[in-house]
Amino acid sequence: MSADHPTRAVLVDDHDMFRAGVRASLDAHVEVVGEAADVDAAVAVIRATMPTVVLLDVHLPGGGGGGGAEVITRCADLLAGTRFLALSVSDAAEDVVAVIRAGARGYVTKAISGPELSDAIDRVSGGDAVFSPRLAGFVLDSFGTQAADVAVADDELDRLSAREQEVMRLIARGYSYREVASELFISIKTVETHVSAVLRKLQLSSRHELTRWAAARRLL
Amino acid sequence: MTDPGPETSTSAPTPPADQTGVPPRTAPRLPLRRPRGGRILGGVCLGVAAHLDVPVKTVRILMLLLSLVGGAGIFAYVFLWTTVPVGDPARAAADLRDPALARLAPRTDQAPGLDASSPMSRLLSRLPVRDILVGSLLLAGASALVASRFGVTIEWSWVLPVVIALGGTGLAWSQLDASQRGDLLSRAGGRTPNGVLRLVGGLVLALVGVLALVSQDMPSSAMLPAVVAALAVLAGAALVLAPWWLRLLRELGEERAARERANERADIAAHLHDSVLQTLALIQRSADRPGEVTRLARNQERELREWLYDDRPAEGTSLAADLRGLVADVENRMSERLGGDEAVSVDVVVVGDCPPNDATRALLQAAREATVNAVVHGRPPVSVYLEVSEAAAEVFIRDRGEGFDVEAIPHDRFGVRESILGRVQRRGGQASVRSGPGGGTEVRLNVPLVEHSAEASHPAAVQGAPQAATPGSRPDATPVSRQAGGPASRPAAGPASPPAGAPPLPPATYPAVDPSASLSAPSTSQETST
Repeated sequence: MSADHPTRAVLVDDHDMFRAGVRASLDAHVEVVGEAADVDAAVAVIRATMPTVVLLDVHLPGGGGGGGAEVITRCADLLAGTRFLALSVSDAAEDVVAVIRAGARGYVTKAISGPELSDAIDRVSGGDAVFSPRLAGFVLDSFGTQAADVAVADDELDRLSAREQEVMRLIARGYSYREVASELFISIKTVETHVSAVLRKLQLSSRHELTRWAAARRLL
Repeated sequence: MTDPGPETSTSAPTPPADQTGVPPRTAPRLPLRRPRGGRILGGVCLGVAAHLDVPVKTVRILMLLLSLVGGAGIFAYVFLWTTVPVGDPARAAADLRDPALARLAPRTDQAPGLDASSPMSRLLSRLPVRDILVGSLLLAGASALVASRFGVTIEWSWVLPVVIALGGTGLAWSQLDASQRGDLLSRAGGRTPNGVLRLVGGLVLALVGVLALVSQDMPSSAMLPAVVAALAVLAGAALVLAPWWLRLLRELGEERAARERANERADIAAHLHDSVLQTLALIQRSADRPGEVTRLARNQERELREWLYDDRPAEGTSLAADLRGLVADVENRMSERLGGDEAVSVDVVVVGDCPPNDATRALLQAAREATVNAVVHGRPPVSVYLEVSEAAAEVFIRDRGEGFDVEAIPHDRFGVRESILGRVQRRGGQASVRSGPGGGTEVRLNVPLVEHSAEASHPAAVQGAPQAATPGSRPDATPVSRQAGGPASRPAAGPASPPAGAPPLPPATYPAVDPSASLSAPSTSQETST
């Protein structure tokens, strides 16, 4: 987060040009300690360098054909110390769900600007979740926009609280965390807590649509 | 027997001119197919004419002449009718071409020449051919009966078996006719119970007929061994031919699969060529105009995504798709208007969907105006968010510009007030603009989707009523007159009825509206009317 402790990051993408572009656009406090272009190389590099953050392309060649999700699955034992931030050209639900379910802490599109990406890396390395507007839209879509008045214990994971929903809605409208916080009169930390809670629900929920969706694409 | 195979053409096939004239001779021979249009009986002559590239009249006359020679023409006609599949020769030729050469080039739907039927054939095609055939058969039977009554001896022992055998054959072959034929021949398909029944029945009939024909003078004691011997021969032949037949089927299946694969690859190649490569070329040519490059890239991305995921709903069924199309249109037009030197990109997020109706159309028009405003006056990133719930459809348009003072807009300026806010309010919706220095501008639009909430959500109409009557106000600009002229489904007494019974829309979507900066529905309509 701070300048004296550079964030160690590994860049995984199969396009050289894109890796070079990202490296050039990152802030000085993000130090790229390794790069990889396919699944097997990525797993090897991550295990060798033990970075704080892995910038992970969703579509990767090699391995068992599972792409970015496979990398996360094969590094599942490192998830406590290494955070994965998924990066993709598309915000399509097809790409999102697999990596998020596998354990990524965030999802941004490649159209993101350099400062924004550095910011997202900081956030993820701090343990928070990063949602793009469209990911927030997908969350609202799959969890439904009707607020849960009474959260029954056993389907708590399958619903968003009214507050989480408001936060998601604002993120989907293009608000930054800071803007969300001032809009809702809460602290940025609270916003981050809400987003992390939503991420957890997204990863663990057995919600009907999400499960059916994932099962139909053999992600489960 | 039906697959002309090597007689395919690699150049664009030209349909033979039917009766219209001499076709160009460049095209090699078309495959043998029976076209649907312009036929008199079964389309055999038409198909043969197309195949041999001669005028169809010649073939028909030849066929008639041949029929007089011991019925050879009739036999040939029936044989071709049963064996030649239905189809457009030109299209069959196109299908047989190497798909890699064919690309995704739009295949012409119909060969025009083959559809143009002469008045003669049109007249003939209107004749009930089948009825005439059945009638003449019955007439023949009747005349045979009459003839036998008058002493002419008819060899029934010959005629009957022949009729039975022919009937059986006809029954077995009849299932090949019509639309199933192509399937049956190419896939050994058509194994419906009906088809099997026809086949077995026809087989038994034909066997009995032939047997009766052959064994007329045979004593019944000799019949049984003969039948057994015949069946044994048939079984032996079937046993020998079975592997060959199976291999034929398998090869057919493999060839079909390979063709499908090749087709798919050709489609992909064609698509990449027609869209992606073209766009890349365009991008290289306009490399010095960043706005244009962005526009091209975004359009291409949209198109490619649509093509890859193929989730485009049918026209007019999805509000979400309409909004995406609208935003794409705005992007294109605005980057054109701005001269292509500036990138115009608007992010769209959609939650939920519903079929469009009058209210959402107004919502989209207002959203369009607001998006254009955001692109022109605001600063990127511009984002559009649509949320459709059961009760309402909401659109938020946001930019990061300097913002402007909503109160400071002159009353005679119609941009924001009329085309954005007024449009939505006329449909019983709510509209507000929130703008402040540094925070950008956000336009919030909301229309109810259910009728009763359309009334409930508009207490402003009642409040605005007295002011609407004040002299000097534009009659068409008052909220009340708009309400009355609004959706026809609203009862006429709607604006005057007390709103107390129905609760207003939940305010949950406006978590913290700044009262000083926001421009809510009631205040707007009042200001407009005074």
